[in-house]
Amino acid sequence: MELDELKSLINQKLTTADAGRSGNDIAQILTRRTGSVIDKLKRSLWIEIFSCIGAILLFAYFGFAGGNHAYHIYFSVFAVLTAIFLVIVIYLLKRTQQLSATALPVKSNLQTIVHIIESFMKRYFQFTMGMIPACFVFALLLIYQDHGSIPDAGTIFGAYFKTTGQMFLFLIGYVTLLAAGIYYFTRWYLKRLYGRYVEQLKQCILELEEQD
Amino acid sequence: MPDEKEFIALLNRHQKILYKVCNLYMDQHADREDLFQEITLQAWKAYGNFRGDAKFSTWLYRVALNTAITFFRKEKRQPDIYATDQVPDNHKDTYDPIEEQVKAMYAAIGNLSKSDKAIVMLYLEDYDYREIGEMMGITANHVAVKMNRIKTRLKEETQKNEANYNYQTRWN
Repeated sequence: MELDELKSLINQKLTTADAGRSGNDIAQILTRRTGSVIDKLKRSLWIEIFSCIGAILLFAYFGFAGGNHAYHIYFSVFAVLTAIFLVIVIYLLKRTQQLSATALPVKSNLQTIVHIIESFMKRYFQFTMGMIPACFVFALLLIYQDHGSIPDAGTIFGAYFKTTGQMFLFLIGYVTLLAAGIYYFTRWYLKRLYGRYVEQLKQCILELEEQD
Repeated sequence: MPDEKEFIALLNRHQKILYKVCNLYMDQHADREDLFQEITLQAWKAYGNFRGDAKFSTWLYRVALNTAITFFRKEKRQPDIYATDQVPDNHKDTYDPIEEQVKAMYAAIGNLSKSDKAIVMLYLEDYDYREIGEMMGITANHVAVKMNRIKTRLKEETQKNEANYNYQTRWN
């Protein structure tokens, strides 16, 4: 038999399996929290926003109150980097809020969700990776400029390295390993959080686009 | 701030739409409950922007299908398939050919992809291809092509399911 011949019976079967809910049941549902990925992302974005604001205030404080020039630059640069990230996070939050408030066609809805999640993953990854060279360069600058005011620096390096070349070789190796570790960890972490979900949504978009 | 009472009254009147979508997309009771809750919450969040240009039922279908398609369980409680032998059958000794065909068709619909299920759902609700296209975000022609393909697939699968059932009942 064809679908059209069974239309009314299938329709009936689809509505008979559950008992109806009262207005009170629905009112109670409205007080609960949603479990959708986009709402979880929204909650993550709010956490990022508060963390960024906290970090900016802290960096700005150390940047201005820092005793020397290197400290000033070091923390001010981090405050600026975090502020840039904050702007991106606020933009993404606005997009997710707009998405929740509208009932887009299925395909556009899927495309928007994929775009938002991919943007978040991309920016998060860029920010994390961008912090590594920034940390490294400014840490070196700090040591170079103010090695006199960091009394332990000379003792530590002197105990382990005979020449400056050796020390730089160690630092380069250390930062390379750290960068590789953070690179793979961040990729794995983001993929684990959203990777499979994004793949499934992309598959749905492909199915909708598929045409003979 | 949208009127909560008005929303609850409207949703109450149209809750069959939610049951249909939940039953079509989830085979486990607990999952259907989760999806029902999720659709209700998403509809409430979007209700403030519902201008009444479209019928509430059409708008609710859009919200419900968007939510169902993007809703993924963390862990599957059971395989997300509707095999004919999983459908509870309390009348195995009284063979009703129409009932068996409905079960076979229901099982075949359950095996469709998420987007194809949405198209079938709207088709069952008598929306025309243009309206289905608008809700899905594709052209009416594309809906027609897809619907033809879906119908052929459902027919083939229903025949296969029925043949399996007949084979089982003959040997049991």
